[in-house]
Amino acid sequence: MTAEVTGRGGRSRWFWAGMMFASFGAIAALRITDAIGEPTGFILLACAMLLIIPLTRAGLAHQRTTGHLSPAVVRYTRRFTVASLGYMLGLGIAITLNERMEVSGAGAFAIALLPVLPIFAMIWAMARYLIEEDDEFLRHRATMASLFGLGLVLAVGSFWGFLETFGVVPHVWAWWTFPAWAIGMGIAQCWMSWRDRAGAES
Amino acid sequence: MKNRLKVLRAERNWSQQDLAQRLEVSRQSVNAIETGRYDPSLPLAFRIAALFEMPIEAIFAPD
Repeated sequence: MTAEVTGRGGRSRWFWAGMMFASFGAIAALRITDAIGEPTGFILLACAMLLIIPLTRAGLAHQRTTGHLSPAVVRYTRRFTVASLGYMLGLGIAITLNERMEVSGAGAFAIALLPVLPIFAMIWAMARYLIEEDDEFLRHRATMASLFGLGLVLAVGSFWGFLETFGVVPHVWAWWTFPAWAIGMGIAQCWMSWRDRAGAES
Repeated sequence: MKNRLKVLRAERNWSQQDLAQRLEVSRQSVNAIETGRYDPSLPLAFRIAALFEMPIEAIFAPD
């Protein structure tokens, strides 16, 4: 079995992922209980988002040893990390403006673009990765994971839509499609990694 | 598709990493091909055949 590889800080990617989600959870709990205000919540969230940097480093270190690291992966990771930070920044500004101002028309359109433009950048990064990846097996894996994410979004979205039509479930905002796709892609990548490890050990 | 990659690699005393570097692919690619979880494209199959100086059909065979 492959030992967990750590980044420069000596911690594994699971440690940094755990830290990031624990921070998000703690900040959400503080906000829900009104222990902190909206500006403080946003500043703390922005700080917690910086954990994506050591998480990315540890992830790259792990990929280097498992044979998944290629120049295209490094470029993709860099682009996706920058876009993720941009997303958090854009989302925070958009929410703050929406809550403090009466937004409508062109203003609302512009504010909606703040978190969406980094999402476009993430989709572009994914597309560039598929174009730039020279290793056909890694490209195949990324394509399959992406298709699994797409299938999850279409299946869950369609089912949820009809349940919503019949009044069974509450309304869900359409921006959930991208996180749902990313979650599906992550599940598929985890499953394929597990299958590869099981195949290598057998 | 069945293949003799593991045997041919062992005959030359190459690790998966050695073979991956010679083919300019990831070690995971070599592992996936060897274990039959991934069938290489025709260009990669030709590169493998050229590296081992054998015809493709001497390395790969249908199930």
